Amino acid sequence: MDREKIIAKVQEIFKDILDEEEIELKDNTTANDVDNWDSLTHILLVVAIEKAFKIKFTSKEILSWKNVGEMIDSIQAK
Amino acid sequence: MIFNTFPFLLFIIAIFCLYYFVLNENTKRQNILLLIANYFFYGWANWRILPLLIITTILYYFLGLKIEKSKEDKKKNIYTTIGVLFGVGSLAYFKYSNFFITSFAQLFKSIGLQTNLHTFDIILPLGISFYTFRLLSYVIDLNRGKYEVTTDFVAFATYVAFFPCILSGPIDRPNTLIPQLTSKRIFNYDLAIDGFRQILWGLFKKMVVADNIAVVTNEIWENYSLFSGSTLLLGAILYVFQMYADFSGYSDMAIGIAKILGFKVTVNFKYPLFAQNIADYWRRWHISLTSWLTDYVFMPLNVRWRDWGNIGIIFAIVTNFVLCGLWHGANWTFALFGLYHGLLFIPLILSGTFAKKTKIHLTKSGMPKIKDFGKMVVTFILVTFGLIIFRAKSINQFIDYIKHICSSSILRIPKVIGYNNVTMIFSIVFIIMMITLEWLNKDKEYGLNISSMKYRFARYSIYLFLFILVYYFGADASSFIYFKF
Repeated sequence: MDREKIIAKVQEIFKDILDEEEIELKDNTTANDVDNWDSLTHILLVVAIEKAFKIKFTSKEILSWKNVGEMIDSIQAK
Repeated sequence: MIFNTFPFLLFIIAIFCLYYFVLNENTKRQNILLLIANYFFYGWANWRILPLLIITTILYYFLGLKIEKSKEDKKKNIYTTIGVLFGVGSLAYFKYSNFFITSFAQLFKSIGLQTNLHTFDIILPLGISFYTFRLLSYVIDLNRGKYEVTTDFVAFATYVAFFPCILSGPIDRPNTLIPQLTSKRIFNYDLAIDGFRQILWGLFKKMVVADNIAVVTNEIWENYSLFSGSTLLLGAILYVFQMYADFSGYSDMAIGIAKILGFKVTVNFKYPLFAQNIADYWRRWHISLTSWLTDYVFMPLNVRWRDWGNIGIIFAIVTNFVLCGLWHGANWTFALFGLYHGLLFIPLILSGTFAKKTKIHLTKSGMPKIKDFGKMVVTFILVTFGLIIFRAKSINQFIDYIKHICSSSILRIPKVIGYNNVTMIFSIVFIIMMITLEWLNKDKEYGLNISSMKYRFARYSIYLFLFILVYYFGADASSFIYFKF
């Protein structure tokens, strides 16, 4: 799947889980830029992404992401 | 060295003059001065604990370099594990070994076995819980690739032992303080004035509010069987304010001193007494510790147990808070305190309000709406109960204290002995003053942040008034509650 499509799909998951209609994800987006994206909702997002893409991240991957771009890199690498 | 003492005043004046005027605002020289000052400050109380701090700093400096240079993940993990084991190991040895020994001896005794275990004579190195947490976050985040290694040893060692924060926090992360240490610091008038103002607020909270309440609460706690239930209840409530004023007062002084030296350190309190639920309370109380625990305890556990849904979150949060409790010291009361707070999160997790940010809704007169005020009161009651566990010397004493509160003497007028009744009334007046100023400035960094006040005369009158209170009502320099953690 190309990167654009992955971002679009992840963006939909964000909107759904965080209950926010106006989320626009870019590579350099961080948790500080998105309302309600904190340590708890982060896990809900991860679980939803894993289900949607049928993948499994390692703990280190999840704890190392600095921004959305790095998260997308991990999805692409699977 | 305690902030509110004469030797510290001389110390800080000397540092200030050398820092800005003699060293000509040269960053490298300023850092060397700061490092010497840090070790002087730290060794002042007991120089024998200084070598441990220096050796630990050197070890983590080299571990950092090794983690950065290793190309394979496996090697990075090995060096990180050494760092984590050393940090956790030294905490376990210095803080908890006697606790484990006595707990085991009691356990064996309870099943009828006699043991010959002896406790060790261990000095608890001051600030060890605070600087170890700084070092742990350094190696873990390097391993996670969150930032680049520090090659400047002086800047690194200054970060670890930064004297305003070493004894009682805030626990700054490397990426907050190290970049500031390696960039130029020139005298910033506005920041320094802000620092002085915050120090004054800290002095007021510590010396006027906390230390006067302490006279009353110490008497109540030491002789609790002599007093009525109502007095014990009042003692428990006063202790919440004492604890807050003592610890946040210390943090205000630490942050203020750092500001004078040109640093912005992590905010540690955001008006926890105005919290609307327990999750909100912990987002506002001792923030540098709770965010540390969130990143290095709660998150890894939550990630690991993520497929278990709410159960996974509950296990992660309860473990997190039991550790948070035990971080305060080696006593079952602290473990119970942590467990209690962890369990209070369960209804919030199940109802989904855990992650929701709370907002205080105000009436036209600026007071909280009745529903929000109710939530604050409920949270305050929950916190008060938790701090009875925290303050008790043992679980038995906690149960006894609660039993005394629940007796028929709860209906009597609360009263302590002799002159302490006057101190009690003064304490309540000081609490009202503190809370009023904090409420009015709850959107600002600290309660005395009144720089936007229009009338200069009014502003200076408030400063002067607080000075007079500190001078006349400030109890003698007593130690801070959080030094022993």
